[in-house]
Amino acid sequence: MAEISLSNINKVYGDSFHAIHDLSFDIRDGEFMVFVGPSGCGKSTALRMIAGLENITSGTLTIGGEVVNAVDPKDRDIAMVFQSYALYPHKTVRENIAFPLRMAKIDKTEIGRRVEEAARILELSQHLDRKPGNLSGGQRQRVAMGRAIVRKPKAFLMDEPLSNLDAKLRVQMRAEIAGLQRELGVTTIYVTHDQVEAMTMGDRVAVMKAGVLQQVASPHDLYSRPDNVFVAAFIGSPSMNLYEATLDGNRLTLGKDGFEVPAQVFESRPSLRGSTNRKIIVGIRPENMDDAAIHPASAEISAPATLVEVLGAEDIVHLNIDAPWVDAGDPDAVTEIGEDRSAVARFSPKSTIRPGDIARVAIEAEELHFFDPDTRASIW
Amino acid sequence: MTDVYQRDIGKVMINAFALLLVLSYALPYVYLLMTSLKPAADVQQIPPRFFPETISLENFNTVLGTATLPKAFLNSLVVAILTTVLSLVLAVPAAYVATQYRRPITVLFLLFALITRMVPAVSLGVPLFQLLKTLGLLDTTTGLVLAHTSTAVPLALLLMAAFFEGIPKELEDAARMDGCTRFQAFAKIILPVMKSGIAITALFSFITSWNEFLYALLLTSESAKTAPIVIAEYNSVYGLAWGPMTASAILYSLPVIIVTLVLQKQIIGGLTFGAVKG
Repeated sequence: MAEISLSNINKVYGDSFHAIHDLSFDIRDGEFMVFVGPSGCGKSTALRMIAGLENITSGTLTIGGEVVNAVDPKDRDIAMVFQSYALYPHKTVRENIAFPLRMAKIDKTEIGRRVEEAARILELSQHLDRKPGNLSGGQRQRVAMGRAIVRKPKAFLMDEPLSNLDAKLRVQMRAEIAGLQRELGVTTIYVTHDQVEAMTMGDRVAVMKAGVLQQVASPHDLYSRPDNVFVAAFIGSPSMNLYEATLDGNRLTLGKDGFEVPAQVFESRPSLRGSTNRKIIVGIRPENMDDAAIHPASAEISAPATLVEVLGAEDIVHLNIDAPWVDAGDPDAVTEIGEDRSAVARFSPKSTIRPGDIARVAIEAEELHFFDPDTRASIW
Repeated sequence: MTDVYQRDIGKVMINAFALLLVLSYALPYVYLLMTSLKPAADVQQIPPRFFPETISLENFNTVLGTATLPKAFLNSLVVAILTTVLSLVLAVPAAYVATQYRRPITVLFLLFALITRMVPAVSLGVPLFQLLKTLGLLDTTTGLVLAHTSTAVPLALLLMAAFFEGIPKELEDAARMDGCTRFQAFAKIILPVMKSGIAITALFSFITSWNEFLYALLLTSESAKTAPIVIAEYNSVYGLAWGPMTASAILYSLPVIIVTLVLQKQIIGGLTFGAVKG
């Protein structure tokens, strides 16, 4: 077990492509840290640099207090689980799990004992003599986990280990991996592009975009106190709705509608006073909007509904809000065909709003988020 | 019903055509076999017969009784084995690096390997002769092995590159994380995974050398002479010794046929590898 510390880490490929910019943060001993971000944001590159599979262009990486920039992957004492699992197809499950121990020249009886133990934890005992080719996706994933845990390494690195599994199995394995990590207490870095995985598994989550770290915080803080527009939109599903608005005294004007911002918002965000009488980016989470006919609120706007998705527990209502839409800069964000700038709200299932209706939308104004339109940073 | 009937007719036609094709390819070889089994006196019978009247091993006894052919066989075997080993030693690591560490220069490297296959062998024969003469390696096993390796390596390189394309880069990464050096990862994980690919490449390299005629003719004269040359020499100024020639040719073709039959599945699997797996 060990603390991992990154200090001003840069990665430049060739002499042109700058993949990682000045990445700095510490991962505490025993912590479950998740790197999340859209594809191409550098999260896997960062992980591979910690593993030693990629050279570090500049900066310092320490594991357990020791600078390891120039240390070979084999000498870093960290285990890695790959997206494709990378099991050795010619070896049995037993040999796969035993391989890192054999490379470490551990005594044969000890290897046998540890392999059996890992297999028992991962419920692989019956499959030890089979080849990976004869296992299901979930079982292969467990073998990959087994190969990592059997070594009792200083840290686990996991590169999108669940992305090849079907949705149901993914949810199950998500809980199992998180549980296993807590049980073993080994420092873990987990890379994913799935913000739900990030939020449910990580003690802390590092959000990255285009090689730049956006924010490191606990899942709860990321959700409730995003540092900037990108984090605000990336965390949460459906995404936060972001629009340009004007703050005039206490009154927020959003398109043709307007409402009073409660005094408590100005208390919790003192800098917001400095943004009055000018343009501002306002963020509204879908769950902070509801049908005013069912849950009336002091802040209300009206907008035509373009699409209603009935999910049973809630209705996802797409609204055409008449205000300048703000692009959060997520390259993976799905834009709806034709209606790519609509807002998304989670209405009570009792709502009778149908496509084409003008919806009266109640907004929980105390839950609004505000961002500077120039720096795109949160206003606190 | 008619659909099924038509489909059956189609199947029969395709099979009949395939059979015809196989027969037309096999016919010269079958005739070679039949001729080798005829008694010496019947070989040049006019009009010629396809099947021997009596089966005789006389021709086989004749060629195996001489010192020339067994020695040429041994030369062929030694040259082919050494060529195979040398080609694999050079081509397998080179193909791995060229495919797994893709850079503009590695792409160029594979392209150049392909170009050497496009040059007519005869145009390389003369410079090779000069080279080996300078090195004092004319009519030596070493010289011929080097010449054969020069043609076998590009083929082995391209075959192995195709096989390596099919394995994920993460396999080496995983081995390195598990405590291997780069070389150990290659030796302990990558090579065993590529076993069948290497076997196919070995077979093709072996056959390339075993069947090679031109360089053997140009670069050897007496002591390093291989079997194809000896077989060709039955056609001499004293006439064409059909019996011993056909018997030698049959004996010489046997190893290749046996190995091909045994490894049939792997060869076809190897040739289509990557095409299906993507």
